[in-house]
Amino acid sequence: MGKKRLVVIGGDAAGMSAASQVRRRKPDLEILVFERSPYTSYAA
Amino acid sequence: MRVKVRDLENGKERWEPFDQLMIATGAVPIRPDLPGSDAEGIYGVNTLQSGIEVRRIVDQEKPKRVVIIGGGYIGLEMAEAFILRGMDVSLVESSSEVMNTLDSDMGNLVSEALMCVGVKLFREETAEGFETDNGKVKAVITDKRSMPADMVILGMGVRPNSSLAENAGIPLGVKGAIKVNERMQTEVEGIWSAGDCVESYHIVSRKPFYVALGTVANKQGRIAGINIGGGYKTFPGVVGTAVSKICAVEVARTGLQEKEIHRLGLEFVTAKIKSHTRARYYPDAGPITVKVLAEKGSGRFLGGQIVGIEGAAKRIDVLATALHAGFTLDQMIHLDLSYAPPYSPVWDPVLIAVRMAMKQL
Repeated sequence: MGKKRLVVIGGDAAGMSAASQVRRRKPDLEILVFERSPYTSYAA
Repeated sequence: MRVKVRDLENGKERWEPFDQLMIATGAVPIRPDLPGSDAEGIYGVNTLQSGIEVRRIVDQEKPKRVVIIGGGYIGLEMAEAFILRGMDVSLVESSSEVMNTLDSDMGNLVSEALMCVGVKLFREETAEGFETDNGKVKAVITDKRSMPADMVILGMGVRPNSSLAENAGIPLGVKGAIKVNERMQTEVEGIWSAGDCVESYHIVSRKPFYVALGTVANKQGRIAGINIGGGYKTFPGVVGTAVSKICAVEVARTGLQEKEIHRLGLEFVTAKIKSHTRARYYPDAGPITVKVLAEKGSGRFLGGQIVGIEGAAKRIDVLATALHAGFTLDQMIHLDLSYAPPYSPVWDPVLIAVRMAMKQL
C-alpha cells in the first residue's frame, strides 16, 4: 500500500495552519497543498 | 476520493487522489450585480495578491479620485491608505453610519473620524451602477449622484468561497458557509474545513455564525490539523471580536450589538461613557468612548464597543475574555486590571462603562 495522502485546498491562514500541525504529528504523511495565488500564508 | 487540479501556468488539468481532504478556500469579495461592475478599475481587496495589485496600480497609474463602496473594515483601511497617499477619497455607505458592526451611535464616531481626515462620506446612499469608457470605470452612479472615479474599491464584505464544496455535495450552513463540527469535520467523512469558508458558532448568541477573519482561520486551521494528525481537539466558537483604525482613531467591537440582541428577543441595558486612554494629567492622554451591553436583570455581559485614540482598541480584549468566561457585570467590576498613569485612569474606561451599566440593571 502506498503512502497516505492529505490534500489541502488553499495555502493561506487555515490551510497552512492545518498543514503544519499535521506535519508535526504525522512526519510520514504525504501533504499536498494547492494555492491559486503566488503567495502562501504570511502569518500562520 | 480525488480532486481535479488545474495548473494555472499551463492550463493543464489532472486528478489528485487523497485519503483526507482539507478545504481552506477562504472567502471572496461580494461583487454587486450592477451595470458595469466587471469594468476595469474596480477592485475587491481580500487577499495579499489583490492588495499588491491595487498598490501596483496606485503606484503606476496614479489614479487621483478613488470611490470606496462600503464602510466596513476593508473600506476604512483602504480609505486610510489612500488618504495617506494624498488621493481624493469618497466613500459610499448604504447605512446611516459606517462600521455597521457597531451600533449607530458608536459608528457615528467613526464616520466623524473619516470626515476629519478628509474622506468625503456619503451615508444612506447606494451604488446603482458604473459609468465606463472603453471597458474602464469612469464614475460610480449612486441613487443620488454620479461620482467621477479613476479607481473603485469594493468593500461590501465577503462571502464564503464554498462552491467547490457545494458542488461536491458537502452541506452548507449560514450564509452559504461550509457546515463543520467542533473538530472542523464537514459532514462528509475524511473531508475537513476551516477558515473564511466555514460556519462558526457564536458563544454569546449560541447560534451558528459566519465570520471571515484571519485570527479565527488560524485557530480553526490548527484544530483541524491536530485532528487530521490523529489528535482530538475542539474549537469552542467565537465572540465576534474585531479591531480596525482610521488614521489616529481606533475602533473595536466584541459580542452582540443592539440589533443582534433585539433579534434574539432579549431585554438589555446599555451604558456609554467617555473617558481617557491614560490618566488625564499624563502626556498624550486622549479620548476613549466605551459602550457595553448586558442582559437586563441577570446582568449577563453581551457585548462591547470602543472608539478612541491610540491605546483604546486593545482594551476590547478584556471584554472579549469576559464574554468567553460568561461573566456578569457584577463579576467584571472587580477584575484586577492594570493601572499606572501612562496606561489608564485609576478606573479603567471599560470598568467605568461596566459600573454605569450596572446602574441600569
